[in-house]
Amino acid sequence: MRKLSYFFMAMSFLCFAMPALAQGGEAYATNWVAITAGFSMAIASAVCGLAQGRATAAAAEAMARNPAARPGIQFALILGLALIESLALYTLVIIFAKVVR
Amino acid sequence: MPEQLWFTAILNHLFAAQLTALLRAVHVEPQFPEAPITNGVAMEFLVFLFLVALFAMARSRLSVEKPGALQHTFEGLHGFIQGQSEEMMGHGSAEFTPFLLVLMLFILICNLIGVIPGFESPTALPVVPLGCAICAFVYYQTQGFKHHGVAYLKHFMGPMWWLAIIMIPIEIISHFARMLSLTIRLFANMYAGDMVTLVFFSLVPVGVPVIFLLLHVGVSLLQAYIFVLLTTVYLAGAVAEEH
Repeated sequence: MRKLSYFFMAMSFLCFAMPALAQGGEAYATNWVAITAGFSMAIASAVCGLAQGRATAAAAEAMARNPAARPGIQFALILGLALIESLALYTLVIIFAKVVR
Repeated sequence: MPEQLWFTAILNHLFAAQLTALLRAVHVEPQFPEAPITNGVAMEFLVFLFLVALFAMARSRLSVEKPGALQHTFEGLHGFIQGQSEEMMGHGSAEFTPFLLVLMLFILICNLIGVIPGFESPTALPVVPLGCAICAFVYYQTQGFKHHGVAYLKHFMGPMWWLAIIMIPIEIISHFARMLSLTIRLFANMYAGDMVTLVFFSLVPVGVPVIFLLLHVGVSLLQAYIFVLLTTVYLAGAVAEEH
């Protein structure tokens, strides 16, 4: 008797897949490109912000410890910030290439 | 008929027929035969004319006893770029300063011209930063060959001879990636500045876009400086003397 009830339970689970055979709504299509674009740009900008924050913090501390080395530290800071920024911009370029097309 | 700026319309009105004939003679069919000059080309040409006029004016007013404001500005810029390349390359860097100075002025004026209504930044199109990056790449490679001869190729082989087999493809790819990164950095900064200004203009038409235009001006200066700084770093790597 228990085996029969298990059998019926398994059969009823199979009926849960019924909506997959239903007529899908044609007017409703998820725009995956836009969703992915939003998430990827958010992740890229967040990580870029973290990295630039660490770079700036290190540069500010170094300038406070050794004010005479300021030109060299400033130069390294600007170079580092621009290189980190460009990594986030690569994501933006991919987004423009995919969203516009 | 594509959408044209007023300067592009003037140039096309004057030169369209001859240019289309010239392009067809080399088997290139322009997309719009009555307007073969695009906005980007017209704006670059305008920047070129402006820079030539500026340099001619500075040259005609050079004086040792009474330097004017223009001479002071150019001397300041020249000293800035020469000091920076000396910091990275030591002596012998003075021969690179003209190219770097002109590259910086060209990119700077190209970036800034977009802020004026009626003009658009040629660097906001992907091809113009690509052109500047190709110029920088060809320049530092030829300087490397000029200074070292054929021994320049040893730079690609890495520190030990048996590493050369994997180092050569890695070095070639990284050299091309430098060109790509220079291009995308400049293009994306300029394009994103335009887009952000447009987005905020569509939200709040009065006042707020001015903040983003100011940001765009700051970013233009910084990106022109970064482009030239990275070109100097690559040059220093190419002409470095092994101690």
